[in-house]
Amino acid sequence: MSVDFYWRIGMHGDQRSLTERAATRGDWEPGGPGRIAPALRGGAPDGYAYVEHMADVARSAEAAGFYGGLMPSFPFTDDPWATAGLLARETRGFRFMIAFQPGFLNPVHAARMAASLQRATGGRVVYNVITGGGGPAQLWWGDEVAHDDRYARTSEFLHVHKGVWKERPYTFDGRFYRVRDGALPEALAAQDLPEIYFSGSSAAAIDAAGRHADHYLSWMEPTAALARKFASVREHSAALGRTPRFAVRVDVVARRTERAAWDVVRTGFESADPAALARWRTGDSVGAARSLSFIDGPVSGYRDLEVEPNVWGGFSLLRGGPAFGLVGSYAQVAERIDELIALGVDAFILAGVPHLEEARRVGAEVLPLVTGARRPALV
Amino acid sequence: MTEVILRLPSGPAPERGLGPAATDMRGGLYGPLEEAFQTWRAAEIAGLAGVLAPDDPDGEEPWTVAAGALRSGRHLRAVAEFAPSFATPVYAAKMSATLQRFTGGRLGWKVTVGGDPAERAAQGDTVTGADALRRADEFLTAARGVWQERPFTFEGDFYRVLEGGFGHPLSGGPFPTVYLSGRTPGELDLSAAHADVHLLRLGDDPEAVRAELDRRAPGRAVRLGVELSVSVRHVGQDDGPPEEVSGRWGGFASLGHTVPEGFVGTPAELAAEFDALRRRGVTVFVVEARPALAEAYRLGEHLLPALADLEREETADAR
Repeated sequence: MSVDFYWRIGMHGDQRSLTERAATRGDWEPGGPGRIAPALRGGAPDGYAYVEHMADVARSAEAAGFYGGLMPSFPFTDDPWATAGLLARETRGFRFMIAFQPGFLNPVHAARMAASLQRATGGRVVYNVITGGGGPAQLWWGDEVAHDDRYARTSEFLHVHKGVWKERPYTFDGRFYRVRDGALPEALAAQDLPEIYFSGSSAAAIDAAGRHADHYLSWMEPTAALARKFASVREHSAALGRTPRFAVRVDVVARRTERAAWDVVRTGFESADPAALARWRTGDSVGAARSLSFIDGPVSGYRDLEVEPNVWGGFSLLRGGPAFGLVGSYAQVAERIDELIALGVDAFILAGVPHLEEARRVGAEVLPLVTGARRPALV
Repeated sequence: MTEVILRLPSGPAPERGLGPAATDMRGGLYGPLEEAFQTWRAAEIAGLAGVLAPDDPDGEEPWTVAAGALRSGRHLRAVAEFAPSFATPVYAAKMSATLQRFTGGRLGWKVTVGGDPAERAAQGDTVTGADALRRADEFLTAARGVWQERPFTFEGDFYRVLEGGFGHPLSGGPFPTVYLSGRTPGELDLSAAHADVHLLRLGDDPEAVRAELDRRAPGRAVRLGVELSVSVRHVGQDDGPPEEVSGRWGGFASLGHTVPEGFVGTPAELAAEFDALRRRGVTVFVVEARPALAEAYRLGEHLLPALADLEREETADAR
């Protein structure tokens, strides 16, 4: 069985460590001593933009044997399509997993854009199709389509995107999109469609995933919750005659000893913003509510968030992003990854803070211990 | 300051006229994308102001090309040509904010409006005519709005944004330079409202267009540009326009150009033509030239210095 290990490219700066909340890599924080990309040199900006650091992360992850990197997309982050276009020729084998909401692009133009990027990268474009959680963020993007309709739109988008890429001439008259006699130029049409990693937990999401996803992608959650989610996707896909594959996004704190790994988490937890901690404990945010739903009893210390051995649910306190991740020795983290593989997962998006250095560490120390996986091929 | 922007080659590689006896075992590796990569490097090295990544349905996609161009150079600006239908204005602005941040603000937008309805429908765009103009107006308003205001709310017929707007640092870079074109009253309205540069065709009257724009938007300094083809005459030339052609020529389509009108001449002759337009208020020259790589060097090594000489002479005369 082959397993693809992706890393993550931070689209919102990066922290120097998991115990320092400020993102001083990039320009999200005020400039000062210790900030890099851009940094001050002799009192003046050194001319390096954050993209230079992203390029270093991509190269570091590529050298560590990762298959590619996820570029997430939120209102406050840099944009994955633009960044992938900039970095296209700076790695050789490393894939760019572009997170995007299909509703924001025209499917014909998206096909042209992706096919050109496939040509520029030698076929290294991967999609993380997201459909958006709704609420104010969706209106921020200028998207008023209601939740379930958004999944219908995502579904139609992916249908048209594939149709215009592979059929010629292509005509479609749908609810959201209309194309008459469309086609990509032959050199573009000859490119492979990007693999699709599909995110979303609702019934509408799972339905759309069943139709279009190569991989159903979930954030890390406790084993039983993941197993339930996967079973639901399997069932739905079976009805459509498809066999889904599963991928998990999971943050990792791996050290030579388990104690050293927990030291990082404890220090981060103890230095977390008290207000954020209070909000988190009362479940006053969607992500926190979902995380807390997996946690029994009151949270008085960081180990209360360890819902299963080495599965810790407090990552969102230490950095922006999903709550659950793995904490432990190199061997323990590799064992947990093997357990996820046994659950049916055959692709991972791993991440660690800081992304540059941790890519090296995880690639060198953890991945070689994963037994259910082929070793990721070095290019 | 006069700017020369080179239109990047696009579309299938031109026939080389080698005939059926020719064999080429390289399997099409050297395609238009490679030519575009090499041309934008050449434009950077040769000192041109920028490149235009055309929205050619038979060529490479312009945003991908523009990103590659921006990343591969230090000075070169890249103008992505697109129709507003390609994405929402918020998403277009979001992509552009990243490109501006990471490239020192060197991105431009050449926004196309309308066009042949059948060609537009093939691109999944069914908005035509006056609606296309109104959509472009809304697109540019909303895109600039989310870039420059926070919170930004917009209620249009085509787009709506609620409490939008970029935060720091996405909002930090300059909004892309906007290039628009057209001769109709509606197109001139759009340019007067949104263009940084209004692009003419050869034969348009720059003074008249300037007056039209000034009348619509007094005090708003829209620069004038021109889209044209050129061919730089040189010793040993075995391609380009027929030998007897010189000066203004409308036959560039026969060489596969998208822009049929242009100038043929030595660098000094071309510089004189450019300078004559410059004296009429045209300061941006979006140039199509083939073969693009060689012409990029000719323009940079021969035309730009000749043009600079003429500008210096004028400055000296004025003293």
